[in-house]
Amino acid sequence: MELKEKGLIEIKNLTKDYGNSRGIFDINFSINKGEMIGFVGTNGSGKTTTIRSILGFIKPNEGAAYVNGMESWKNQDKIAKLVGYVPGEIAFPDLKTGVNFLKSQAEYKNIKDLSYADSLIKELQLDPKANLKRMSKGMKQKTALVAALMADAPIIILDEPTTGLDPLMRDAFLNIIKREHQKGKTIFMSSHMFNEMEETCDRVALVSNGHIIDVADMNEIRNRKTSEFKIEFNDKESFEKFRNSKFKIIRIQEKYNQVTIQIDKNDINILFKDLKELNVKFISEVKYTLERHFKEIMEEKGNEKE
Amino acid sequence: MDVIEVNHLTKDYGSGRGVFDVSFKVHEGEVFGFLGPNGAGKSTTIRHLMGFSHPDKGQTKILNKNTFTNYNEILNKVGYIPGEIALPQGLTGYEFIKMMQDLYHIHNDEMLKKMLDLFELKDNVLKGDTKHMSLGVKRKLAIVTAFMSDPEVLILDEPTSGLDPIMQQRFIDFIMEEKKRGKTILLSSHIFSEVDATCDRIAIIKDGKIVSEFISNDLKHSSLKQYKLVFKNKDEYKKFIKSYNNQIINILAKEDSKNKLLISCEDKNINEVISYLSEFEIKEFNNIKETLEDYFMHFYKEDKEFGGNF
Repeated sequence: MELKEKGLIEIKNLTKDYGNSRGIFDINFSINKGEMIGFVGTNGSGKTTTIRSILGFIKPNEGAAYVNGMESWKNQDKIAKLVGYVPGEIAFPDLKTGVNFLKSQAEYKNIKDLSYADSLIKELQLDPKANLKRMSKGMKQKTALVAALMADAPIIILDEPTTGLDPLMRDAFLNIIKREHQKGKTIFMSSHMFNEMEETCDRVALVSNGHIIDVADMNEIRNRKTSEFKIEFNDKESFEKFRNSKFKIIRIQEKYNQVTIQIDKNDINILFKDLKELNVKFISEVKYTLERHFKEIMEEKGNEKE
Repeated sequence: MDVIEVNHLTKDYGSGRGVFDVSFKVHEGEVFGFLGPNGAGKSTTIRHLMGFSHPDKGQTKILNKNTFTNYNEILNKVGYIPGEIALPQGLTGYEFIKMMQDLYHIHNDEMLKKMLDLFELKDNVLKGDTKHMSLGVKRKLAIVTAFMSDPEVLILDEPTSGLDPIMQQRFIDFIMEEKKRGKTILLSSHIFSEVDATCDRIAIIKDGKIVSEFISNDLKHSSLKQYKLVFKNKDEYKKFIKSYNNQIINILAKEDSKNKLLISCEDKNINEVISYLSEFEIKEFNNIKETLEDYFMHFYKEDKEFGGNF
């Protein structure tokens, strides 16, 4: 099937109201082919409702979600063929083992070649012969990931795939997801963890109380023109000289002789030439992270309201 | 005083699984982090500390009592959150709380109310059957029951797994408060930020053996710093490599095609390093920080390249 380059997934004025101000309200978002999109927010902020709307599991009150131009609610079956999906709370059908489940999925999706499934099982060190009911959370997540990826579907949607995994497994999961992205897959992933979005995503949306508060362009965050450095001096004299220099000061901690400055990345040579004359104890960079970006935006919004 | 002691604990489950000669101590009023992937031996160690399992060799003690032989004596002094929560069937949340209070013989209604409010467990949820509770609610209930008798020692196995960031933060704040009140806490967790924020000392376990034990501030305020340098052009880059003083600067990685270096130096030499760097045309200067996660991963991925961080 021919896939749309622009707006492969589109959410237009989507509202699903569960009452008591729970649900999602007038959400608009568009995802292009090959993009990797993150969705962050607390429990109950509307991440899963948005995902279930894209998959066509939920009938919206207003607006609609579209996958490759097809309205999700009316085309659930067609969309299922385009999407590999890992749900947040995994409930397997009443089958005995992981092998039974993966085989039934392969049959349902009409997959003949199971070699990719086999290689993923090896990579994840999954024992698919284990009893489905007795699987730990991690094993269930591995099984669900294999089921979602084995059809080689062009779109992958993951609802908190790494929650509850140990650090090594989290790493293995993220590597597989990154690799799928490099293969050109369109990926939509929700998570609690800012840092895993930071490394992998092209854009990240912050959701709160059913609204998209901000969409961060990760390229802009990674390639900011300015840097911030915290510099501590060994003596008052150096500290005083530096605080009166031309650099843009963000924070001063007098009792530690500490100054935090913001500088244009190109001015790093000027900084070194100035510091050369002073007695520095240490210099360390204050990184601009996705978490900080969203925190600042939430604070701004808070101030606007007041 | 050492409140929690693990002395040469060995429990061999065969085929390399189990724990082997594990030793550590948690002092009074300390929060001790216990890190490792699933299957490394965290829960096995904790189950011994709770007196659920008999060691092959060595022993575990809490408040100077052998935990296996004095299980009943220490039960009401230790709050415990198990890694996998299995609540008894056919009870409501309230009935479960009551059952645990009876088991501990401690009814501290003030602490119970404080905990229920803090973790937002509402009346309508607690009146419901535990069978229908979501994972997050079960986890909160486990936190409440571990702390509700206000015990002096806490053994927490993945306490916040599955809680959202707001609740995780609330848990972190709560642990810091409890620490101030003098509690001794063993915290096993997969969430580095939580361990980073709360723990005084940290042990890493791999394949049933402790591979590292350290003071968490030593990692946070390491005086050995790593910097990424990108030079304006090839000439500057080459000039630096040819002439740098290897007594004070260490080159950890090079990327010739991008004129990029990863260097390390001690803070005490920073003035010399700065004055040296000021003689070069530098395009980019970044501080690469080793996080707890990076440090942890070293033990599991010996061959992890700097390329990933670059």
